[in-house]
Amino acid sequence: MDDVAPTQKARVLFVDDEPRVLTTMRMLFRSRYEVFFAESGQAALDLLKTQPVDVIVSDQRMPGMTGIEMLRAARDLNPNAMRILLTGYSDLNAIIGSINEGEIFRFVNKPWMNDDLSTTVARAVAAAKASMAAAAAAPAETADNPAVQPVAGAAGVLVMDDDPRVPPQIQTILGPSFKVYGASSMNEAVEQLEKNQIGVVISDTRVQDHPVVSLIGTLKQHHPELVSVILTDRADAGSAIELINQGQIYRFITKPIHDSQCKIAVNSAVRQHQRLASSPTLHQRYEVEAPATPPPVAAGGTGLLDRVKSLRSWVRRLGS
Amino acid sequence: MKKLRQVFFALLAVAAIGVLVFLLRMTQSVDADLHRARLERIQVVGNLDVLLNRQFTGSRVSSLADSVTDRSGTTGQLDTALNALDKDAGALRGLTPEIDKALDTFLDTIESKFELAFDSEARNTLLTQRLINSMDAVPTYADAVTAAATDAQREEARNLTMQVKTEIVNFGVTPTPPAAAAGNIRALLEQLQAMAPPTPPPAPVTEGEPQFEPEDPPFTKAVKGLRDRSEEVIADKTELVAKLRDFLDRPTGPQLQALEQAYMSWHEGQVAIANQYRTYLAAYAAALLLVLAFLGFRLARSFREIDRANAELSHANEHLEEQVTARTKDLSTALQDLRASQAQLVQSEKMASLGTMVAGVAHEINTPLGYARSNTEIVRNSLDDLRGLITAQDRALALMTAQNASDEEVATALTEAEGLRATLNPAETMEDLGNLLKDTDFGLVQIADLVSSLKDFSRVDRSRTDLFDINSGIDSALKIANNLLKTRIEVVRQFGQLPQVECSPSQLNQVFLNLFTNAAQAIEGEGKIYIHTSAEAEGVIVRILDTGCGMTEEVRARIFEPFFTTKAVGKGTGLGLSIVFRIIEEHGGRIDVRSTVGKGSEFVIRLPLKQKRQSGDTAVSAAPELAAA
Repeated sequence: MDDVAPTQKARVLFVDDEPRVLTTMRMLFRSRYEVFFAESGQAALDLLKTQPVDVIVSDQRMPGMTGIEMLRAARDLNPNAMRILLTGYSDLNAIIGSINEGEIFRFVNKPWMNDDLSTTVARAVAAAKASMAAAAAAPAETADNPAVQPVAGAAGVLVMDDDPRVPPQIQTILGPSFKVYGASSMNEAVEQLEKNQIGVVISDTRVQDHPVVSLIGTLKQHHPELVSVILTDRADAGSAIELINQGQIYRFITKPIHDSQCKIAVNSAVRQHQRLASSPTLHQRYEVEAPATPPPVAAGGTGLLDRVKSLRSWVRRLGS
Repeated sequence: MKKLRQVFFALLAVAAIGVLVFLLRMTQSVDADLHRARLERIQVVGNLDVLLNRQFTGSRVSSLADSVTDRSGTTGQLDTALNALDKDAGALRGLTPEIDKALDTFLDTIESKFELAFDSEARNTLLTQRLINSMDAVPTYADAVTAAATDAQREEARNLTMQVKTEIVNFGVTPTPPAAAAGNIRALLEQLQAMAPPTPPPAPVTEGEPQFEPEDPPFTKAVKGLRDRSEEVIADKTELVAKLRDFLDRPTGPQLQALEQAYMSWHEGQVAIANQYRTYLAAYAAALLLVLAFLGFRLARSFREIDRANAELSHANEHLEEQVTARTKDLSTALQDLRASQAQLVQSEKMASLGTMVAGVAHEINTPLGYARSNTEIVRNSLDDLRGLITAQDRALALMTAQNASDEEVATALTEAEGLRATLNPAETMEDLGNLLKDTDFGLVQIADLVSSLKDFSRVDRSRTDLFDINSGIDSALKIANNLLKTRIEVVRQFGQLPQVECSPSQLNQVFLNLFTNAAQAIEGEGKIYIHTSAEAEGVIVRILDTGCGMTEEVRARIFEPFFTTKAVGKGTGLGLSIVFRIIEEHGGRIDVRSTVGKGSEFVIRLPLKQKRQSGDTAVSAAPELAAA
């Protein structure tokens, strides 16, 4: 909250078809932020056309336009605004959509805890300020500038999957301009990360029966420029939400692998990595929540976290 | 293919039989009867020819007329026979050029023979007649010679004349007298002449008119007469014989033989050809036998295989019982599995509707719950602040009323309380708090409503069969499905005044929820669902019409089948509508569907007011399985 300039309050837009939720939000946040309200997706977009905001907090299920549809449109209108989804129930498709289309910062379930929501919004505000500053510093590199082309060979792609056929398959799909490394365990993955220059991690939700969310979260905490893509056939809503909130995963694609979908996802992930690497202030945008419990350590991998932390030197090298 | 093969084999068999028949005909080409008939005809002609010759030769002076009759008869027969030889079906003509030539030659000859016979007929008759006359005259002249002889010479003369008579008769009667006969006669006459008294040698007697020289002695005269007659006989006879010879010498015999020869050689040729064909036939028959043997072998092999198959079959038959038992066991296991998996599917269908419902209800509950809880927290925090203000104000009040309090203390406390009051703005805060509590109340009422309609929907606290207001059932189902509908689908309710219907409410609620869910899934993007209810004399009608994608006739015909689904594998169990159908059926009602692709679908449900007792019982007994989720 120190980040909030006393002269200029951050602007937060709340979208919900239930006006009582908006009333509550007003009570909660009016003292800290300049708050705006919209009772439908369309009203929110109309408002965004004239009023730039830092953070958008939206319900998912609304008549006329879903939250994700609205957030996707809002991304084009107001790319620097951080997007938070606040919803009572969402099926897996909605969650995957919120990742791939909405590129949301957090996914918050109803009913919410006021403190948690306040913290999340505060973080979003801080991230928005940071990215705004970055955008001001390098206006050409806006978050969605398609002119930024991936530089072949600049960063490798690490594929974590139990199935050893997946890395070669992805290499085939991506073509020779990408360097693909394979790993079938977390230890291997860490080794690959130490040895090679990796920009994008493609991973299943579980590797050798260990959920990857803690590893991805740890990696993201220490190497914020790493971009994660989840590629899985065992998607479930709970783990997807975890992966958003704790892993800031960039894309979520489901098996069987569709060549074009995979290629588009990895291409934009590589571009994202290059943007993050070139502008460290953006890292805050993709800050992760600290997991509630310490991440389980893979069997025999006692020094896993230490090793992950040791990668910071590599990050610095890359950042410079 | 098989038919083609059959046709091919039939053609082959026909061809084989055809060849056989041809060969048989060729071997039969020599007709033995015809051959015999032909030979007979040749023989008949030969015989007739010989007969004719004989008749010709043997014509007696005495039976001249008979002989002519006989001959013409024979000639007629011969003519017929010749015709038969020449022209009939069994004729020889046309067989080979050689035969034809021989036949022509023969026919020409026999023709000329006929002509000869015909030509010489008159002359012959004349000659024969004259011969007979001359012969008849001879004895008279011989007697005259004997009479004219001297007594001494009479005996000798008698002998000689006797001899002459005998010779003449022999000569005249024998068809072809030996060449020496005429000489003998002439020698005898010379002897008679010699007996005459020496006279000037008489003129030669061989030819010329008998001379009745008066100067001649009577004996000489008589001998001369005898000689003249004899010479006449000899001359006539010789002419006759010459003619006969001419006739007989026509070479009909050898020519007929040549004909027969030619025919025989042709026949032998035919026989040789037939024999050749017989050889072919034998070879062909042998070949056919080989083929037959081969077929027989194959047939035998087929039979062996059939036998073996039969044996296996009978073996299988013997073990059929066991197999049937085993299969029955397998089948009953499979049936059990099937029943289990069907039950599982019904369960998973229920779980799926439950999931849909939970998703909707969770969102519907979580939203009011979210702001209610949040509001409570805000109110609690505000209450803390207010409590601080009240405490401060209380203290200031207490100080003011306290006897021993200094003015400074009171002023400080008042300032403090006033400061807090200014920050908190209690009036505004109270109003806000009131509003928040009002919202919270509203949220809690909403949650209570939802829970109550969940209870209504499932009817867990009601009896299974009950009097039920269909409209309220539709309402509660709509509330449950609200989450699915509210974002994009407008629901238009056209409820009529309905009597209460005896039914299982939870089951009907499931029916409505399933239909609404289906309608919502049929609508892509935004659309409408019209719900129309009306009362009938004996029941109620519910129409549910959507503006969805509709369905084809094929799909429409099958939608109530269990496990039929148009959704992707794993997305639907295909049981939803079949459960709907069963529930309506068990209520004694009817469900009909009309649909237009691209326009939408309409489900029409008719329910009777009262359940039939027995069907009501079955509805109840079936209820546990179909109870709404």
